[in-house]
Amino acid sequence: MSEVVALADARESALFGSKAVGLGQALRDGLPVPPGVALGGAVVDAVAGGDERAIQQVAESVRSLRGPLAVRSSAVDEDGADASFAGQHVTLLNVRGPDELTSALSEVWWSANSDSAITYRQRVGLFTRPSVGVVVQTLVDPQAAGVMFTLNPLTGEDERVIEASLGLGEAVVSGRVIPDHYRVGRDGEVLERTAGRKDVAFRSLPQGGVIEEAIAPDLVERLCLDDDQLAELSSLAERCETVYGPSRDIEWAIADGTLYLLQCRAVTRAGV
Amino acid sequence: MSGAPIAVLERVPLFAELDESELERVANVFKERRFPAGETVIQQGSGAAAFFVIDSGEATVVVDGVEQRTLKAGDYFGEMALIDAGTRTATVTASSDLVCAGVTFWDFQPLVEENGTIGWKLLQTLIEIYRSERQRPPASE
Repeated sequence: MSEVVALADARESALFGSKAVGLGQALRDGLPVPPGVALGGAVVDAVAGGDERAIQQVAESVRSLRGPLAVRSSAVDEDGADASFAGQHVTLLNVRGPDELTSALSEVWWSANSDSAITYRQRVGLFTRPSVGVVVQTLVDPQAAGVMFTLNPLTGEDERVIEASLGLGEAVVSGRVIPDHYRVGRDGEVLERTAGRKDVAFRSLPQGGVIEEAIAPDLVERLCLDDDQLAELSSLAERCETVYGPSRDIEWAIADGTLYLLQCRAVTRAGV
Repeated sequence: MSGAPIAVLERVPLFAELDESELERVANVFKERRFPAGETVIQQGSGAAAFFVIDSGEATVVVDGVEQRTLKAGDYFGEMALIDAGTRTATVTASSDLVCAGVTFWDFQPLVEENGTIGWKLLQTLIEIYRSERQRPPASE
């Protein structure tokens, strides 16, 4: 079986990791996932080891992807039922050109083989050699992005909980801002809109990499999603539950008026 | 860059008994790793994953908050991690952009398991290190 496939053809978790297979399933079910490529653990290992053939194979596989790329780890045992590698394995955004892609894959490989990742593996009883699959996707340049829980993770209430901020979703995921907070009922009724304090946003730089920039003062505490966008997010939550099952943790982005699904996984922390 | 410079590996006490072809096999499992200036390369007290040889750049070594020395191209650190993935005994921080060749515990272990000669020589070297540590007079007060 090939170690380099279009994201829509990623089906083997043992080869590509759960993130790649989850996004592949989403594409096969018509969910709005940015196009991408799934790389198996062995090819990432070979690229990190400087194997020219593997480097060439990967460079050719991403040629059809337009614009800058997002490079995300999809380790085979990542986000398993008993362990979450969030914060251990890196994601690199706005990667441009084959050389940067090779460096990014090396960085992802080392993040899974770093001292902190090893310490974490020892702690959770996963002391085995990591196999690091990778998802390479077209990077969307969002006006707003964030996370969404299809079920309230704190109260267990049957409602969508949405956290949103301006620019790339990393501002929300990393906890860098207090995001806008929304609750939406299953019938689509907006139950709560609370503006956060969005002092900064992460934006892609034309020359590659990401910059943290200050937000204009009048936008810091202004809600960044309107009711139509909340309705669209609620609809995405329903479609994700149909495809994957209940209680999902979703990363999303809105770019040029289009809503994208960036990741969908089971909620790893039970509600109180 | 792929692999590690054999000239550096020859100077690592752990590899003292290995001949050139064995050193070459060890060198081939190394992978390049880059650290920007200011980044912590390894942290004292943390679990240890890999052994590194510096290809270019400089790094500082700190033990218990006290700076010990500067590492440069051709220096190496963390070789004991290859045997037991134990705890780091020093913090190493990149003082400039740093390019290293590194090998992890997991890539080194199968190499040794598949090559009994390398494993036996490593054992002999470890015993030598152990003996010389035992024979060293205790530090004066």
